Order: sequence, then C-alpha cells, then structure tokens
Amino acid sequence: MTPPSRGKRAPEPAATDSTAAGSPATEAELVARAQAGDVGAFEQLSSAYADRLFMLLLRLLGDRAEAEDVAQEVMLRAWQGITRFQGRSSYFTWLYRIAVNEANRALDKRARRPAGVAIREQELLLPGSPADDPSRQAEVSELRLALGRALADLPPALRTAIVLRDVEGFSTQEAAEIAGVSQAAFKSRLHQARLRVRTAIGDEALVTAGG
Amino acid sequence: MRIPGHADDHRWSQQHLSHYVDGDLRPRARRRLERHARDCVDCARGIRAMRALVYTVQGLDGLAGVRAPASIFDRVRPAGGADSLSPRGA
Repeated sequence: MTPPSRGKRAPEPAATDSTAAGSPATEAELVARAQAGDVGAFEQLSSAYADRLFMLLLRLLGDRAEAEDVAQEVMLRAWQGITRFQGRSSYFTWLYRIAVNEANRALDKRARRPAGVAIREQELLLPGSPADDPSRQAEVSELRLALGRALADLPPALRTAIVLRDVEGFSTQEAAEIAGVSQAAFKSRLHQARLRVRTAIGDEALVTAGG
Repeated sequence: MRIPGHADDHRWSQQHLSHYVDGDLRPRARRRLERHARDCVDCARGIRAMRALVYTVQGLDGLAGVRAPASIFDRVRPAGGADSLSPRGA
C-alpha cells in the first residue's frame, strides 16, 4: 500500500494577480480589495482554495450535485461575510470553517428528509496500488469499501473530525479551529469517530489489510 | 488513596488509544498505556488496529485531481453584469 501523504496542509496563500504596478497582489491585498467590494479580487482570493474546498465538500457530503450546490453557497456566504474577516486565522481556515458549517447544515437538512441521500462511499476510495499483488489488492480494496461505508455512516460531527484530521491531514489545532470546537472536544470527537469505524470494520480486517 | 488496578488501566487505555497513536499523551500517560498493553492482548491489538485504521484513512485520496466546478462563483457574480451583490458592510 502506498504510504499516506502527511503533507496535505493548507495550500499556499493566493498571490497570482498583478497590481497596477505589475507586482503580484498578496493575499492581504486581495482581502482588502474584496472587503472594499471588488468581486474579482474575492474570486481570485478564493479560487486558490476552490479545488480543495470542493474535495472537502465531496468527502463530507458524498454527493457531487449536493457538493456543487453547497460550494456555491459557501462562496456566497464568504463574499457576504468578507468584511467580518479580521485575519485572526488564515483566509483558508476561515473559508474552510464556512464550508464545514454549510456541509453540516446540508447534512442536517438531508437527515430531516424522509429518504436521505446515501453517501456514495466510492467517492472516498483510492484505487489499489499497481505494485500490490492481486489478492493483496482485493484485500485492500475491500477494506477501503468497508471504510467508505463506515465513514458514510458516521454522524456529521464525527465524520468531519476524521476527514479533517486523517484524510485532509490537518493538525489537531488546525482541524479544531476549522470545526469550531476546542482541541479537547475535537480529540474526543476524533476518538469516537475512530472507535466507531474500528468497530464497524473489525480489528482483524484492519490489521490484516491495513497494517 | 486507591491504587489503580488492571481494570482501571484497561478502561483508561481503551479510552486513550486514539490519543496514543497520535502521540498526544504526556510521557507519564504514554508509559502507563504501554505498560498495560504489554500484558493486555486486547489493548495491544487495539493499538495495532488503531494504527492500521489511521494509516488506511490517511491513504484515502481518491479525489486527488478533482477540480471545483466552474459554477462555484455563480451566486457571487452579479446577474447580467448588474452590480447587485456586494459584501455586507462594504
């Protein structure tokens, strides 16, 4: 199995525009322009994080159409609230927090519907490494299917914890900030999430295929 | 003061497996868990399973290369070029 990447941290800040003088605009400049009402600056600022934000929504929602809808709502809310962004966290963290809140709101709405849309666990999967032999590939693939199902069955707060920390690779501090809870509360959620997934899959399957 | 026994250590260890594999336990707590796991098949298996779980979840990267849809800013852009939207308080 390919070793997991732990380098999936916040992307580099946006700095791709050019000012009138020809030098690239910094993220702080783009924020200031967006706060003054420049929608182009807002799009440039946010588009640097759009792909990763969309992947997060897909992981949390498991449904592409819903993720697209929520992504649009996230951008609208970020634009409407940009004047309240004070730079206490990075813009990326602030935007991700809006995304987590909107995803949870969408999941709440879904839960209240009589027939909820099931999370498509294949959205969470990684194809087996070609270096693995076929029986090993099958084992790993089965484990990942089970993992996808177990993650899909978690309550939103627990799924958010495991996705932010283990899939997205944020530190506990960053993930807690994005989830909007204390680090202690976040660790507790993460522990609960891992425990439920572990129980759903079984220790033997985990150690045999994943170890 | 009551000295913690095997049952206390076991319950406590089971509640801290996740913190242990993340390296979040203080040295004294880590030693407590490791000492207990040396004699406890359940907790030793729990550590291996938790490590395998974290490792496998970290490898779930099947969305790498997914791009955000072009429509992501549609609700921000003013319709028909009109300046109908602006940040609140700008």
